Amino acid sequence: MAYPFQLGLQDATSPIMEELLHFHDHTLMIVFLISSLVLYIISLMLTTKLTHTSTMDAQEVETVWTILPAIILILIALPSLRILYMMDEINNPSLTVKTMGHQWYWSYEYTDYEDLNFDSYMIPTQELKPGELRLLEVDNRVVLPMEMTIRMLISSEDVLHSWAVPSLGLKTDAIPGRLNQTTLMATRPGLYYGQCSEICGSNHSFMPIVLEMVPLSYFETWSALMV
Amino acid sequence: MLHQIMGQAKKHPSLIPLFIFIEAGGTGAALYVLCLAMFNPDVSWDRKNNPEPWNKLGPNDQYKFYSVNVDDSELKNEGPDF
Repeated sequence: MAYPFQLGLQDATSPIMEELLHFHDHTLMIVFLISSLVLYIISLMLTTKLTHTSTMDAQEVETVWTILPAIILILIALPSLRILYMMDEINNPSLTVKTMGHQWYWSYEYTDYEDLNFDSYMIPTQELKPGELRLLEVDNRVVLPMEMTIRMLISSEDVLHSWAVPSLGLKTDAIPGRLNQTTLMATRPGLYYGQCSEICGSNHSFMPIVLEMVPLSYFETWSALMV
Repeated sequence: MLHQIMGQAKKHPSLIPLFIFIEAGGTGAALYVLCLAMFNPDVSWDRKNNPEPWNKLGPNDQYKFYSVNVDDSELKNEGPDF
């Protein structure tokens, strides 16, 4: 989950998010280098008494500042495309979970083996227990087995919503009349928080998502209890 | 237009890398669109003889432009044959 004064992305819980973190580091480094170089050159230009008013032609520097940015852009584009294709890979999910967005809560259906349906509402601030996170906790968490590929089918029953869990690198729109699919794979157990990411009315900020990743045996016990 | 490009390049040789990158990018984009038009199973050119090519997909063919981890030739068809 996010913490106060956080500057970067949340810690990765899925392999794709790890790739995205490294890509973000790589690209941000390039951006910082370019920005500091430009700032330095601007400061030099503003603090010099030297002038040269008759420059007509600068072939060498123009060649350099054409080739270098092109190379930098290629160095950014290739990892980016690689991750893009990696996100779309076929990976044989072992479980399918459906989630429907409503105004203003999420409902989840685990229908592979039994008929398990429940709604997930945010816990209002007055009813929070000590230590719980404001505007992020829900009454029924989405319990899922960890280290297994899970197919999420996402849609909506009324208006546009978006099912997002930043720690897993997931954000998929919930569109009424359309079924969107994303795959989820958590490498470690824990609680992972997300919030609705498409404006959907007055309580758009108050319909969070909480994934509880647990070992498979705990998941089986939980789903037997919930049915 | 080629003559214009050659003329400008002779007068200002620093433009040569610019032309190279623009041509490479433009050719790459055009080739990718051509690839999609010819090989993408979502595209149907001949409505009489081949109306729905998206219904004739095999499990082993590679449809995407680039596969990072998955070796498409090892995929199998898990559904029923019909």
